[in-house]
Amino acid sequence: MQSAVESSGAGRGWLVPAGTVIALVVLSLASVLVGVGHVDVAALLSGRADPDTLRLLLVSRVPRTAAIILSGMAITIAAVIMQMLFRNRFVEPTTAGTVEAASLGLVLVAILAPGLPILARMAAAASVALVATVLFLRLVERIPARSGLIVPLAGLMLGGVIQAVTVFLALRFDLLQSLATWTNGDFSGVLRGRYELLWIGFAVAAGAYWVADRFTVAGMGESFAANLGLDHRRIVATGLVIVSLVTSASVVTVGTIPFLGLIVANVGSLVMGDNLRRTLPWIAVSGAAFLLACDLAGRLIRHPYEIPVGTVAGVLGSALFLMLLLRPGTRLG
Amino acid sequence: MSGGPAASEEIRVRHAQGETVLPARPARVFTFDLAALDTLDALGVAVAGVPGSNVPDYLGRYRGEEYLKIGSLFEPDFEAIAAAEPDLVIVAGRSSPRYAELSRIAPTIDLTVAPDAYLQGAKANAALLGLIFGKEAEAGNLVAGLDAAVASLQEAARPAGGVLVIMTNGGKVTAYGPGSRFGWIHDDIGFAPAATEVVAATHGEAVSFEYLLQINPDWLFVVDRDSAIGSAGASAAATLDNDLVAATKAARNGRIVYVDTVRWYLVGPGIAAVRTVIDEIAAALGKSR
Repeated sequence: MQSAVESSGAGRGWLVPAGTVIALVVLSLASVLVGVGHVDVAALLSGRADPDTLRLLLVSRVPRTAAIILSGMAITIAAVIMQMLFRNRFVEPTTAGTVEAASLGLVLVAILAPGLPILARMAAAASVALVATVLFLRLVERIPARSGLIVPLAGLMLGGVIQAVTVFLALRFDLLQSLATWTNGDFSGVLRGRYELLWIGFAVAAGAYWVADRFTVAGMGESFAANLGLDHRRIVATGLVIVSLVTSASVVTVGTIPFLGLIVANVGSLVMGDNLRRTLPWIAVSGAAFLLACDLAGRLIRHPYEIPVGTVAGVLGSALFLMLLLRPGTRLG
Repeated sequence: MSGGPAASEEIRVRHAQGETVLPARPARVFTFDLAALDTLDALGVAVAGVPGSNVPDYLGRYRGEEYLKIGSLFEPDFEAIAAAEPDLVIVAGRSSPRYAELSRIAPTIDLTVAPDAYLQGAKANAALLGLIFGKEAEAGNLVAGLDAAVASLQEAARPAGGVLVIMTNGGKVTAYGPGSRFGWIHDDIGFAPAATEVVAATHGEAVSFEYLLQINPDWLFVVDRDSAIGSAGASAAATLDNDLVAATKAARNGRIVYVDTVRWYLVGPGIAAVRTVIDEIAAALGKSR
C-alpha cells in the first residue's frame, strides 16, 4: 500500500510541490495585504508607497506573516517526526501531552521565577515538555497491542492529566485567565521584535531535515534500525528534543495551535508518501499555507476584530481529524 | 443617625437576584465582592469575612488574620462560611453565580451592577448599604461627592475628543466600547467613543495594534490586567511600546492614560474606588492641557 502511494506520488512528482509553493506564495501575499490598516497595492507596486504604509508593512504585516510561516512549518515538522518515532499517525504535540507540558512549564515559571527572560522561559517550557514526552514514550512501550487508536488516546489522557495539574496551579495562583491568553494560539500581538524566537524553533526543525532519513528508519522499528547499524535510542532522543524545543518556541510566542501538525502531516503523507527526505519540505510548506489560511480567516470573519488562529484551526482541524478517522481504510498503525 | 430601621426591625433588601429579609441589622458581615468591601470600608461598617486572595493594597488591612478568609473572588469556602454563621453575605459579579448555594447557608444579597448602569449602580449600592447599616448620612455624603466629581469630569470630557478603552493581558489587546464593562466612561461621563462599532462584549474584542492605529484615538485609556492581578505578564507599557501605537494621536500627544486598574477592573463599582478612578482621570486630563 505504501509503495502504491509512493509511486502514484512519484508519477506526478512536480505537481504537489509546485501546488504547495504556489499556495504559500498566494496566501503570504494575501496575509501581507489584508489587515485593519489600509495598504494601497497600486502605490506599493509603483514604488510610491507613503511612509505610513511602509511602516505598517515592516512593523506589522511582514513580521506576522513570517511568524505564521515559521511556526506553521516548524509545528508540522515536529508532528511528522513524532509520528515516525511513535509509529502512529495520530500522534503529534497536541495529542501526546507535549503542548500541555510546555504550558505547565510556563505556569511554573510564572509562579517560581516570574522575571525570567523569554529564552529562559522557553528553555523551562522545553524541559517540562521533554520530560512529558519521554514519559509518554515509556507509556506507549507498555501498551501491549500497540493498537493504533490506543496510543493517541493515551496521549490525550496524559495531556489531560498534565493540564489538570496546570489548571490547578493556575487556579491557586490566580493565573487562570492569563493561562487562557497564553495557550490560545493568536498572532494578533505579533510585531517586529515579538516573534523572533520562532526562528529558533524553525532552525531546530530545519535541522531535523538533515536527519530525516534516520527518523524514517527509526519509524520502522528498533530492530530494523539496529539491522542498519543505527542507534535507535539516540535517534529517538534527538527527535524528542527537537519536538520539545519546537513546541515550546511556538507555545511561548503564539500559544497552542491544535491539530495543525496532525492534519497536514497525514494529508501530506497520503498524497506524497512516507520518504521524509523527499516529502518533508513540501509537508512543511503545506503546514505554513494551512496556518496562513486559518489566520486570514480569523482576521476577516469579524473584521476589524480578530478570531484567534487557535480557535479557527481547532474548528477546522477537528472536522478534518474526524474525516481522517472515519475515512475507509485509514491506516491507524 | 437619622430615620432608618432600628436595630431590632427586620430589613427587606431588594437586590439583583430577588429580595432578602434580614431579621435585624447584621453584625457579622461577609463579602466576596471587593466593590462592596470598598463601600463598606468607606462607610465605616465593620466587615468580618473577606476573600482570601486579590484583596488590593489600599484595602490591605483586610488581609489580616482577624478577618475570616471565606474563599476566592469566585469560589466560596462553604464549610468555613457555614461554621462562622454570618448575618449577611454579599456577592456580586464574579461571585453572583454562588448566590443560591450561599442563600441556603446565610442571608445573602447580590449587589451585581449592570455594566450599562455602572455609576447608578455604585450609588444605589452605597445607599442600600447605608440603609442596611444605619449609615444613611455617610452614604449620602459619599454619593454627593461622587456626583460632584462626575459633573466636573463631564465638563472636561466634552472637548477631549475620541476615547478608546483597551485592556492589555499577556501582550494582547482587547477593546471596549459603550455598553461594555468599561462603557460608563462613554455612557455616563460622556467621553466620545473613538470607535463606534466596538461591540459590548464582557471581555472586549480582540484587536491588533494596527486596529489601534486605524482608530487613532485622541485618548487611550489602558486597563493593565496583568498588573491588577499581580501576575508577571508583559506590562501594559511594554505591550504598547511599539511603532504602531507610537504613531497614534494619543501617543504623540502624551494622552495614553494608565488607569487605576486595581480600582477600575479588580474592585469595580465601590463608591470610594469609582471616586478615585474619576479623580485620577480628571487629573490626567488636566495635566495634558
